[in-house]
Amino acid sequence: MLARERQKRLAAAMAEAGIDIVVLYGNAWQGDYLRYGADFGILEGHGIALVNADGGVELFLDSATDAERAELEAPAVRVHLAPDIARVVGARLDRAANARIAAAPRRFLPRWLADATRSFKLDDATALLDRLLMHKSAGEIAAVRRAAEIADEAYVEFLRMVRPGRRQFEIVADLEAHLRRRGCPDNFMIIGSGGKDVLGMTPPSERRIAVGDLVTTELTPAVDGYFAQICRTLVVGKASEAQRRAFGVFVEALEAGIAAVRPGVRAADVAKAENDVFRKHGLGEYTTSQWTRVRGHGMGMFADSKPHILEDVNTVLEPGMTLIVHPNTYHPDVGYIVLGDALAVTDTGAEVLCRTPRQLFEVCVIDGKQRRCAAA
Amino acid sequence: MRRGLIARSTVELPDAVFAARLDRVRAAMQADGLDALLIYTNNTRPAGVSWLAGFVPYWSEAVLVVPRAGEPYLVAALSFRVKTWIARVSRLGDVLHHPRVGLKAAQQIATTRADAALGIVDFDGLPAGIADDLREGGPRLTLRDASAMFAALRAVADPAEIALAGKAASIARKALAAMQGENLNAMIGSVESEARSLGAEEIYVATAPDLDRDPRFKRIEGEAALGKRFALRATVAYKGAWVRLIRSVGEEAVMYEAATRFAQAVASLPSERGFADCRAFLIEGCRIAQPLEALLGSRVGGPTPPPPGALVSVQATLAVNGTTILFGAPALIGQFGAAASLLVDPLFD
Repeated sequence: MLARERQKRLAAAMAEAGIDIVVLYGNAWQGDYLRYGADFGILEGHGIALVNADGGVELFLDSATDAERAELEAPAVRVHLAPDIARVVGARLDRAANARIAAAPRRFLPRWLADATRSFKLDDATALLDRLLMHKSAGEIAAVRRAAEIADEAYVEFLRMVRPGRRQFEIVADLEAHLRRRGCPDNFMIIGSGGKDVLGMTPPSERRIAVGDLVTTELTPAVDGYFAQICRTLVVGKASEAQRRAFGVFVEALEAGIAAVRPGVRAADVAKAENDVFRKHGLGEYTTSQWTRVRGHGMGMFADSKPHILEDVNTVLEPGMTLIVHPNTYHPDVGYIVLGDALAVTDTGAEVLCRTPRQLFEVCVIDGKQRRCAAA
Repeated sequence: MRRGLIARSTVELPDAVFAARLDRVRAAMQADGLDALLIYTNNTRPAGVSWLAGFVPYWSEAVLVVPRAGEPYLVAALSFRVKTWIARVSRLGDVLHHPRVGLKAAQQIATTRADAALGIVDFDGLPAGIADDLREGGPRLTLRDASAMFAALRAVADPAEIALAGKAASIARKALAAMQGENLNAMIGSVESEARSLGAEEIYVATAPDLDRDPRFKRIEGEAALGKRFALRATVAYKGAWVRLIRSVGEEAVMYEAATRFAQAVASLPSERGFADCRAFLIEGCRIAQPLEALLGSRVGGPTPPPPGALVSVQATLAVNGTTILFGAPALIGQFGAAASLLVDPLFD
């Protein structure tokens, strides 16, 4: 149902813009544009969908296994296995050279296909698709809401899985298995553990969890292709006074950021609300790109979509957008801390989708083995 | 994104392995008159850069620049906060960080020689935005496609890569052997847990839930009904080496006969003739940067037979006494007249 709804919105946007064919590119990293039009979650290789103004969709994939999967998972589209994908799609577009064709995201298209010497001209439809991806229908928001519920549940599991001596990748293995058992096929997840030596999060390493570590994670499960993220930090053992004090700044910043969310404000205003809290505490330096990437971002068919929450991003928030606000950064007293909640922009403000308490969790260790979870 | 273990092992991949690969690449560059070589990497096309530098991006994109003289360096769109992580998991001379990796790479290459001849691996498939940025950053650079040169070196597996593929196959086999649970999602979870716990860099589990109805694989979302006979396919990456392995569940006698026919067909590779009585088959391998590229198969037009010494992953749909069975496993193509061989036993029960 969501796929049909997206197709109708895309067809309407194409008609309004006078576009006959839209060319959507996707791969396992940036798969949202392709999924929007073709309803297929690509895992391997390049994928290119040609969406016609009449709603017909042809999907070209250069991975044989993904082509087989697409036949089953996206039965409404016509699937082609095309190992030489640029030339096969080019030959198809040669036959439509008089049509108005536009591509998104154009910068990701294979160079050969986008080359100016082709018989067809590819306009840039990236902004058009970005608008559709950012402004979600009630059905799309419901999918993000369900993903947020799964993220909350997964964080409870994460708390159970962290204990001294375990290696980061073993924890992530258990967490991913939990998500698969829940029928959730995809997740974006990074992790960090340690103290002042940790500057950010990465994929899981062989590092073992130790007593006193701050353990940070972003969990981002997907439902029907829509991602929702939660960011939380825990301490292994009892939190120190410095850790509690530092975490308090992040709670204040997150609350300030969420309070700033409402229709008509800019992404920059939300970032400024978060960063002003750090500045008030003499930590303004740690809101710069030297220490943090973004202060939140859009969420939907991509785990890190537009708009980015930064003080120089002027995208105006509107009802129907889904975001995560996360003032994640380094704190000089204790190390890297994360805290963030997914939310939907409503007519009057924000509906926070995550239910996990905004607390510095403690994973307490008894006799070096057992543990229980509590909030600091 | 990659959520498995990305780590460098100087035991499995000592410096000498990378040095030998680089020596061969530099010799080919010299023969082709190239001053530098550029290879793009992202989640989907990691196998060129991982082969030369061990780097696998968990997210985002990067380009590796191999100067004809001097150490290779990476230009990454990831922020410099992960510089130490990249350095830890890779073998690189340097890591530069810039949101426009093509622009920065071209500028850097041009500082050595403004009119350098730059070979680009998979130039046709390079993202258009990066190609534009290369021209902007190095307007006097000569850009050439270096795919054929690189493929001639990359497509044949060296001993280190064969060993890593063997490890990946072993992980896949242990993971599929650990399959258990009261429903399909529980089985998938058990396979993923085992593979990731054994250090898999990545695992994709696909399922054909009812072989009597449809022998094609899909990814499961939500609940799925399980037939009497079904199959799971594990696609596993381990330190840059990718393999696929299938576990079909069916009657023992049928499975053994099918496995025998499968192994016999594999032995005939790179010829396709052994698969003549299969309902469908697919041979995948790495030529340039896509880890498992379709090379031969019942649906693959324009076949690209793997060369002697190449690693491949083979899948086949066989019929035994009217029963459909799926088999799949990695294999090594023989050299000097030797038959190809499976890297791992595809029979489980």
